[in-house]
Amino acid sequence: MAHNLTNSEIERYSRQLIIPDYGIESQNKLKSSSILIIGCGGLGCPSALYLSTAGIGRLGLVDDDTIEISNIHRQIAHDENKIGISKAQNLADRCKALNSLVKYEVHNILFTKTTALNLIEQYPFLFLSIYCTDNVITRYLINDVCVLLGKPLVSGSALKFEGQLTVYNYLNGPCYRCLYPTAPPAHAVSNCSDAGILGPIVGMIGSLQALEAIKVVAEIGTCLNGRMMIFDGFDFLTRIIKLRPRQIETCLMCKSVLSRENLTKKDREEILENFDYIEFCGVSNYNDKSINISILSDKKRINCSDYKNFTESHLLIDVRPKCQFNICSLPNSLNIPFDDFVYNEEKVVENIRDKLGNEKSIFLVCRRGNDSQLAVEILEKHFNDKEIKDLIGGLQTWSKEIEPDFPKY
Amino acid sequence: MDSISIKVLFFGKARDLVGVGQKDVDILHSNLKANEFLEIIISKFPRLEEIKSSTKLSLNEEYVEMNDVLSLKSGDEIAVIPPISGG
Ligand SMILES: [Zn+2]
Repeated sequence: MAHNLTNSEIERYSRQLIIPDYGIESQNKLKSSSILIIGCGGLGCPSALYLSTAGIGRLGLVDDDTIEISNIHRQIAHDENKIGISKAQNLADRCKALNSLVKYEVHNILFTKTTALNLIEQYPFLFLSIYCTDNVITRYLINDVCVLLGKPLVSGSALKFEGQLTVYNYLNGPCYRCLYPTAPPAHAVSNCSDAGILGPIVGMIGSLQALEAIKVVAEIGTCLNGRMMIFDGFDFLTRIIKLRPRQIETCLMCKSVLSRENLTKKDREEILENFDYIEFCGVSNYNDKSINISILSDKKRINCSDYKNFTESHLLIDVRPKCQFNICSLPNSLNIPFDDFVYNEEKVVENIRDKLGNEKSIFLVCRRGNDSQLAVEILEKHFNDKEIKDLIGGLQTWSKEIEPDFPKY
Repeated sequence: MDSISIKVLFFGKARDLVGVGQKDVDILHSNLKANEFLEIIISKFPRLEEIKSSTKLSLNEEYVEMNDVLSLKSGDEIAVIPPISGG
């Protein structure tokens, strides 16, 4: 059959070309296709490496973040001598070393309504892998742009020992919004830096995203559109859940596309512009870094250096989860996880009353200084004759400003 | 009437809140809506209240809507699947 592969390409891709169900037709389609990978982290690394070595024609890599040492246990394309370098650029460099025949495009940008539409428009196939993010806005935004442009979206996510994988907006399968018409409340979604993630889990989900992308591009096999794979690596359990088809009646985006013929660029911009993502998701911005909240008034808080100089006897309570307390803690601190404050308030109060004796002050500390403030609010109700304060910025700030040798995680 | 034993799988945040990945739950009636079943497991594991509005349920590897009437028999598997978003 007619193809446009060179002899050196035939040799390079020979081990996949000789699979009867793949063949030279699939390789041809791969060579003339483009894929955009959003997020160059734990999922993006393996998927980009495999799509690059498989011989995709053009590969766009999006990420506005730089490499940190705590990324490397799972983001396997990033090396320890590249700390501080752009993730997208470094991943492109690594891919290029594996296969220089692919055209690479680096996008060091944050996704917003405008950038998303302009960028995704340039790529026939889209392949999503959001890196560690609790940012629901980005997830809905990318989904919506894909629906408006009629592009399939290979979606992966992973946390702790678990992964999920599906192909949205492909054939008659649903989009992300069909499946989740209302955004989950922010507190119900955890991210990798708070909940943790194991390398092989993202490695597996990211590799499978590359597999699904290859099948979508080559139009072979049976893809995961209309189905979602859920993998629990802890108990080694896999379930393939059948999804409902596209929700033309109720899904805001699918409805707006199917009710009109041939959306123009202006129509798409208008649909996106008219949708208030910030209100819909109940979060404040497009950035997905863990943010520090401030709910207590200044007089109920103490900064790290004032705490260091506080010499009177007092009770220090560390409200982090036990597994974090076991990593490192301040001397003489008592660990009562914040979850216990919420679900076992009475017992916690009793326990504190026991330990408190004649102390006049209670200080609360956590990792970043968020949960400790909420714990102050709970304790205030029970100990109105005591001084109760939270340590501003938590142990992260303590480590940065007071005790550089204190472990960072 | 004998009770019906349903195998319930907890994924993501639901697993954290319940503390285990899997539990057998006995119910008395075979016909009930998905959201009624969710209420039953919330009454057994009250912390699941936190994900009530965002979670999905599947019955024997097929997603169900909260208004669907489920016709359950012993040995059926229901999974509690909140969205996860790391990576
Ligand atoms: Zn939809």
